[in-house]
Amino acid sequence: MKLVILGKGGQGVIFFSRIIAQAASKKAVSVRSTEIKGMAKKGGTVEIQMKIGEGLSGLVRRGTADMVILLSEDLIDYAKTFGSNIFMFTKEEIEKALSSVPMRYVNTFLLGIFVKKTKIFDCDDVSKILDEENKKSFLMGCNYVQFSPGNSSERGN
Amino acid sequence: MSKFYFSGNEAIAHGLIHGGVRFITGYPGTPSSEIIPAVQSLIKQFSLKAFADWSINEKVAYEIAYGACLANIKSAVTMKQVGLNVAMDPFMNSAYVGTVAGFVVISVDDPGPHSSQTEQDSRFMAMAAKIPVLDPSTVEEAYEFAQKAIELSEKFSIPVMLRSTTRISHGRAIVDIKDFESSNTIQPHFKSSKDWSKQLSRFAATPKQRLELHRLLNEKIEKIAAQNKPKLFFNGEILVLSSGAVFAYIYELIEEYGLQDKITLCKLDIPYPLSKEKFNFIEKFNRIISVEETYPVIELQLDTEGRRNGLVPKQGEITPEVCEEILEKLGLIKNRKTLQIPPLKRPSLCPGCAHRAALFSVKKIFGKKAIYAGDIGCYTLALNFEATDTVLNMGASVSFGFAFSKAFELGNKKQDVISIIGDSTFFHSGIPPLIDAVHYRVPFLLLILDNQTVAMTGNQKTLSTPHDFLGQPLKTVSIEDIVKSLGVNFIKVVDPYDFQNSLNTLKEAKEFLKKNNEPAVIVFRHLCINTKQGLQNNPKIPVKIEKELCKGCMICIKEFECPAIVFDDEEKKANIDKTLCISCGFCINVCPTKAITLI
Ligand code: SF4
Ligand code: SF4
Repeated sequence: MKLVILGKGGQGVIFFSRIIAQAASKKAVSVRSTEIKGMAKKGGTVEIQMKIGEGLSGLVRRGTADMVILLSEDLIDYAKTFGSNIFMFTKEEIEKALSSVPMRYVNTFLLGIFVKKTKIFDCDDVSKILDEENKKSFLMGCNYVQFSPGNSSERGN
Repeated sequence: MSKFYFSGNEAIAHGLIHGGVRFITGYPGTPSSEIIPAVQSLIKQFSLKAFADWSINEKVAYEIAYGACLANIKSAVTMKQVGLNVAMDPFMNSAYVGTVAGFVVISVDDPGPHSSQTEQDSRFMAMAAKIPVLDPSTVEEAYEFAQKAIELSEKFSIPVMLRSTTRISHGRAIVDIKDFESSNTIQPHFKSSKDWSKQLSRFAATPKQRLELHRLLNEKIEKIAAQNKPKLFFNGEILVLSSGAVFAYIYELIEEYGLQDKITLCKLDIPYPLSKEKFNFIEKFNRIISVEETYPVIELQLDTEGRRNGLVPKQGEITPEVCEEILEKLGLIKNRKTLQIPPLKRPSLCPGCAHRAALFSVKKIFGKKAIYAGDIGCYTLALNFEATDTVLNMGASVSFGFAFSKAFELGNKKQDVISIIGDSTFFHSGIPPLIDAVHYRVPFLLLILDNQTVAMTGNQKTLSTPHDFLGQPLKTVSIEDIVKSLGVNFIKVVDPYDFQNSLNTLKEAKEFLKKNNEPAVIVFRHLCINTKQGLQNNPKIPVKIEKELCKGCMICIKEFECPAIVFDDEEKKANIDKTLCISCGFCINVCPTKAITLI
């Protein structure tokens, strides 16, 4: 499976990707990724490409990603060059995350939404990797999806 | 064995320590900067007797680590590819003199380039110096090759380069790491060695003896080349030779497109030195092509196709997409999709960065006509708001200050010249040109932007850090003391957040330069807000934009460029992006109509 995770510096993109990688390593023999952080520390583009259970390099060729996880909406055109299956969080989901947990745990809340919705990984597997506080926020994200049906943000383009 | 999801740089650090290396120096530079911190964590974790820390520049780092290997301690030095240029002198010489204990030179290249001045190939430098080079293709190999490099160095008493690239060093993979058996015996010796008199002619060789050392070096290189075996994959009539990350991309493409019977892929773990005799088997192939990053190292040694006949692009990263294009040129695949990649937003200094504040004040006093000679650091980004005209390499801002000022003086023209350099870059290579400027009485203004860290590469320590990674006290080095001791008569220290004081000091410096034939120096000191301590200690002055007062002049955006100030195209007014703003309050000084105010 080929994933690309795109976002901005300060959004916790790297943390997000590391948790996905750890969850993936429970299911596949190989997980490989590559990280490109721009020169800007805050607000610069952060790009993670990841291959799970395939390949020798972590690079994902343009047009071949199975899924692009997009954390920053303004990068949508750039995201599309990797693949057409783009996963984005809805405005409501982001607002819910911001209002439910402290800033530091917003990305684990969103991770919960992602894991629950895409079903690529098991919620239990992921929650085992996280520390107590992150786990709480992660499970809140998972539960939010469970109890708000019909709330899909997976877009095909 | 344990499994870890390691970056290439962490893998290298583990490989070095497992290979017995106990003395590691370096200078930070993306993408090499994470190796030393990873070594430091191992030292802490296993209470190792070892030295691993940053040096003032790459030349000094090289000499210190190399010296330790001459005292019989396995050692290594880390840097990025342009850092190797700085260390070129000891690099070339150490090849002749050879090693006592193993010595590894880790140089990390940045094909692309993603964050460098050049995309030069360290393997090419190794070839020029006659130093063997290992080129890992995966993160796992980064771990393995670090150990191999030290073994090869010990076996042939020669420095060995481990060349990595951005994609390996900043790539990650699950790596099997051997359980660590910590051996804590360090046995330095120098004059106590049995054949000391023989060694003396190596360590302090006269030119005549250097000739002999060169002969010995050639012998070593021939032996290593004779043992250097290629690894062959697949079975086709076209031979593709490769090393490093590019090998992995081509391997993947061959599998994906089912080209196993079209291409034979030859992997070179050690792309230099190669012996043509060992490779005479390549003659039987229809075509022989080298695909490698970024200069033709294998290609020149084995005289193959590649960059020189235009099959492989002469510049740029060899990405999987580029490899695909090469396969298309070879007629092996058809209908490759090409995509237009939209440009990403240009990078800018962090919201609240004190460099921006300092340079805003400088522009107020010296205006657009002044020449701004910039340098390597976060502040390079000041070119976005026209406070940087030149960026060459570490330290060149000060030399350029000298050059431009002298050039205009010779032409009898008045010209304000400002050199801009960061604290660590000043220590690295800004001091020697300042000495020249004092000696030759050249007037220009040198700004030292001191944020007490090497910010651009991830906030490594500088000479102002009072303790090392273990908490042991260090002697701090004062920039202003150094500047004074060189004979600079105008030296002031200012906090750039203090706008009024900054303006006054800059005016004073301007007056001083009019009357005196000598450089003036201002140290703008403020902690980098991208560090925990810097952010905690920063003033908290929340601001808002009064809509009625904002005339939409965009001065705050074009001249100041804080990413937290955004322009609303519909309203034609500026706005504060609360998610980015750190409430530093400096922008209050920027708006000519006083629309930016305290909340
Ligand atoms: S990292 Fe520090 S020095 Fe660099 S732009 Fe950000 S605040 Fe400024
Ligand atoms: S207060 Fe002004 S200058 Fe400081 S971070 Fe916020 S918008 Fe930028």
